[in-house]
Amino acid sequence: MKRRSFLKALFAVLGTASVSSFAYPLIRYLAPPGSSDMDKKVVLVKADIPVGGSKIILFNDKPVIVINRPGRGFIALSKVCTHLGCLVEYEKDKNRLICPCHAGTYDLEGNVLSGPPPRPLPKVTLKVEGEQLIIG
Amino acid sequence: MAKNKIRDWLEVRIGLDELLKSQLTEYRVPKQINVFNALGSVALAGYLIQVISGIFLMIYYIPHSEHAFRSVQEIMTRVPYGWLFRQIHVVGSNLMITAVTLHMVTIFLMGNYKRPRELTWIGGGIMMVITFLFGLSGYLLPWTQLSYWATTVVTSLPTAFPFFGDFATRLLRGGDYVSGITLTRFFAVHVSVLPPLFMILMGVHIALIRRIGLSSTPFGKTDEEKRPLTEFRKKTHPEGHAYYPYLFQKQVLMVICYFLIMFSIITFAPTFFFPEEASVPADAFKTPENIRPEWYFLAPYQMLKLIPNKFLGISLQIILLFVFIFWPFLDVQKEKNIFKRPVLRGVFIFLMISWVILMWWGRR
Repeated sequence: MKRRSFLKALFAVLGTASVSSFAYPLIRYLAPPGSSDMDKKVVLVKADIPVGGSKIILFNDKPVIVINRPGRGFIALSKVCTHLGCLVEYEKDKNRLICPCHAGTYDLEGNVLSGPPPRPLPKVTLKVEGEQLIIG
Repeated sequence: MAKNKIRDWLEVRIGLDELLKSQLTEYRVPKQINVFNALGSVALAGYLIQVISGIFLMIYYIPHSEHAFRSVQEIMTRVPYGWLFRQIHVVGSNLMITAVTLHMVTIFLMGNYKRPRELTWIGGGIMMVITFLFGLSGYLLPWTQLSYWATTVVTSLPTAFPFFGDFATRLLRGGDYVSGITLTRFFAVHVSVLPPLFMILMGVHIALIRRIGLSSTPFGKTDEEKRPLTEFRKKTHPEGHAYYPYLFQKQVLMVICYFLIMFSIITFAPTFFFPEEASVPADAFKTPENIRPEWYFLAPYQMLKLIPNKFLGISLQIILLFVFIFWPFLDVQKEKNIFKRPVLRGVFIFLMISWVILMWWGRR
């Protein structure tokens, strides 16, 4: 190996090392920062949501709707439509959820009834403990 | 080789070979050039570091009095490597001012501001003032006790002038005292007024240097320029070195040293530029003890404290600033070599010593 090619290789290694030592922090810096309160449980009072009523909460920075379904108890569903991410609305009188963007409809279990959504709405864990609802 | 393909492609489009030749190898520098001639490129590198790290900080910084402090804290604690970019920006600002000052002092000592290079000096002088304005406007942005009260002190300076002084202070603050309005103003100046001005001046500065050609330093030999110069003549230094790689290497070496100092401070003295008041959120109803400006303003600050009449003190400083910027027109001696100019040398040493004494004094 000639001295010249050795030096070239050395410079290539050192240069790559110094560039990547800057590039790595840059990429990490620009990546979305993690939320500070991941999986933080939300506690609601049962009496606040009458039968047929609903309440919108934020869980993991995402909107979640808690519905007191007539005859079937509480459920917590993600409000984000699985089609293109609009927020679904609860239609009390029709017992369904409808997305205003492309008219996708879901039943109160989150299953798709009609329209473009490819998947059912994700459920969020909900436990009833005495007078309280624990979401998460 | 793909590299050659790219080269050929560019050669056809922009005449790359001729361009590189004329800008890198046919551009010649004097034989006795040294690392002090590379300080300008260190200042330029320092500025580019500020621009890049500043853009990264802007991604998370919120220029609002209720969020500024918290967003800076988040950059320092929660954003991955945010501490690194803020440290680079803070340490870099101090180092850039150091580099600019050293550049100015060495050019002064070499007498390179003399005809035909007066415009280059004036452009550089204005850039130095803008560099200080960068420091001044950026200082308020973290919205700490230190930045709030230092800004209060600085923005109250114009009140020393009759008639328009009070108005100028209100204009700077956007009100009767420093507030969220001031913060937004200073942010706007810091990120969108000063940079383009600085870039334009830098372009002119560098274009002038290339157009006129580098000056031969006077040390050890007489400058061959026949004065008075009554017609434009580019200095080409046929007996000198090619800019690339001769001076370019020196510039790279100096920039590496700059980085070395920067990362040494960040690694071994991370709190060097962060006094205690710099981690307390701004409180408009409580002035902290011993508030004082940054080190580079200490000497003028102490001078203001020493002169009993505020108007006199500030006027004197403005006159001194104009003397500094228009110095090439005031210095009519033909001799460049400072070793052959005892009076100028004496004045220079006196200025340096008094600056250092005032700076130490101002620390108290």
